[in-house]
Amino acid sequence: MNLFFSPQTKKLQKLSWQLRQDLIDMSYYAGHIHIGGSLSALDLILSVYLSDIFNFSQNKRMRSPPVVDASKRTDDNFILSPGHTCPALYVVLAYLKYFSKVELKNYNKMGSILQGHVSKDVPGVLYSSGSLGQGLSFASGLALADKLDKKSRYTICLTSDGEHQEGQIWEALMFANKYKLNKLINIVDCNKYQINGSTQDIMPLDDLAAKYIHFGWTVKEVNGHDFNQITKMLKLAKQSDRPVCIIAHTTFGKGISFMQYDYNFHSLDRLTDFQYKKAQKEIKNHLK
Amino acid sequence: MSNKKPTLSSTRQAFGDTLNLMASKNKNIFVVSVDLKSSLKLSKFAKKYPNRFIECGVAEQNATAIAAGLAKSGKTVFLCSYSSFSPAINWAVIKQSICYNNCNVKIISAHSGLLTSAYGATHQMLEDIALVRVLPNMEVFSPCDAIETKKIISVVANSKTPAYVRLVRPDTPLFFDKKLSFTIGKSHVLKKGKDITILGHGPILHSAFQIHNQSLAKLSLEIINCSSIKPLDSKTILKSVKKTGRLIVIEDHQKIGGLGEAIAHLLLENNLSPKFIHLAVDNQFGQSARHCQELYDYYNIGIKALTSAIKKIIS
Repeated sequence: MNLFFSPQTKKLQKLSWQLRQDLIDMSYYAGHIHIGGSLSALDLILSVYLSDIFNFSQNKRMRSPPVVDASKRTDDNFILSPGHTCPALYVVLAYLKYFSKVELKNYNKMGSILQGHVSKDVPGVLYSSGSLGQGLSFASGLALADKLDKKSRYTICLTSDGEHQEGQIWEALMFANKYKLNKLINIVDCNKYQINGSTQDIMPLDDLAAKYIHFGWTVKEVNGHDFNQITKMLKLAKQSDRPVCIIAHTTFGKGISFMQYDYNFHSLDRLTDFQYKKAQKEIKNHLK
Repeated sequence: MSNKKPTLSSTRQAFGDTLNLMASKNKNIFVVSVDLKSSLKLSKFAKKYPNRFIECGVAEQNATAIAAGLAKSGKTVFLCSYSSFSPAINWAVIKQSICYNNCNVKIISAHSGLLTSAYGATHQMLEDIALVRVLPNMEVFSPCDAIETKKIISVVANSKTPAYVRLVRPDTPLFFDKKLSFTIGKSHVLKKGKDITILGHGPILHSAFQIHNQSLAKLSLEIINCSSIKPLDSKTILKSVKKTGRLIVIEDHQKIGGLGEAIAHLLLENNLSPKFIHLAVDNQFGQSARHCQELYDYYNIGIKALTSAIKKIIS
């Protein structure tokens, strides 16, 4: 356990609970949301965007249009491969003012840029996803282009543990190893649940770290809700001469007692009034 | 119509040569390969531009999203494989990573249709047009010979949208008019006529020039090369059909989802109902044969079938 928290860690911790509140609001107002995975991935996305380890400065102001021409971009790349956990990305991007926070209320409403699976129409988003297993390959393509163009940019991809059942992930692992994509970082959100049960029951991944190591990757393991650990590993990841996998052990439905470890909250139609109040109260306790 | 033996040439060679040439001027041209370098005539490219030749091994799904990622970084990417694998194995990746993300990837797929005769059913791709033409943002081209292949490759290399180009295995007759230029969304009337419109895509269209039946000698056939399957050249097609009132669409593809279906749709939407025959593979798988003509005859898309169709449509 970390007894000493840096000011930055404290800031991220507080922010994490504030943004969890946004996610719960979205779960109450929207007709449908993938909440379990969004709550597990949130701290990982927060760390990528707000720890000052990577460069995400370009599109911060709402008034400046997002730079989509890749050759003109200077920011690092972030790719969200399991597109259904986009609410976690949306609340972070809204906090960073990529778009107005008011837009969160329009999540998955007709005409909103915030679709139920992430789309490149959202300022700051490079890649539309939803069909699992494709994001790491796309990220590898970006990383390869940068490597050949001798750019110093990092490409960070977030994948989920359940997503590793897709064969394409393993194709991408071989590829990234072959081309020594040392500026590619794959953060695996290991929340151990998927839509119909635990990942262990549905298709066990067993020793994921060993698998990545055998595929030629550098592997780090962290508690995916411990900002000290996450940021430390992200910093270390930049030093690697090989592609890096950060296996982040997270809690499915993190922070909301009745959602935690319950796969029924993978996909949720709507929170009941009772659930909403209970969740709000739990978050408030953490923000005290 | 002459009995002279046509010159044969390879669409794959035409592709490889053209890309090689273009790559010398355009440093953004990349190839993503799935271990079909020699078959797609890319060995020279790989040797000359090793940094721009990305070998992914036999992993089409990964290769497709790699291609999209490179394209997102400003490259013009040629994803080269066989149509039995791309757009078949990787269709969902094409949909999401290439089309929905609107990445500048050109999907070049050889060994299409029954022309891959010796390989058997699994390698005779008859569903590729159906798979790609349904995708938003995707343009679909099927050159009739090596000359047109060169022209199409030069054009798509300079466009910014996803595109699919259908190539074939064997050397096929040269019959595209060298003087014609290829334009996206434009069909070419290769022979003017007034009695029947014969329309098709790919090398099979050459059979329309091989009708030597005495009883049909007086008929005037209008032969249209519809290499731009999407977007379609509705103007040229409608104009011809209005004139002849009779239309035969011939293609080395399934009836379902093929060019014929697209044309039928176009006609209906424009309140035209000409006499219409669609010569294509009818809900069947292919099989091995030593000569593709045997398959064309068996599946009723060969010269015999076309001759019968002409007789039927004129009666």
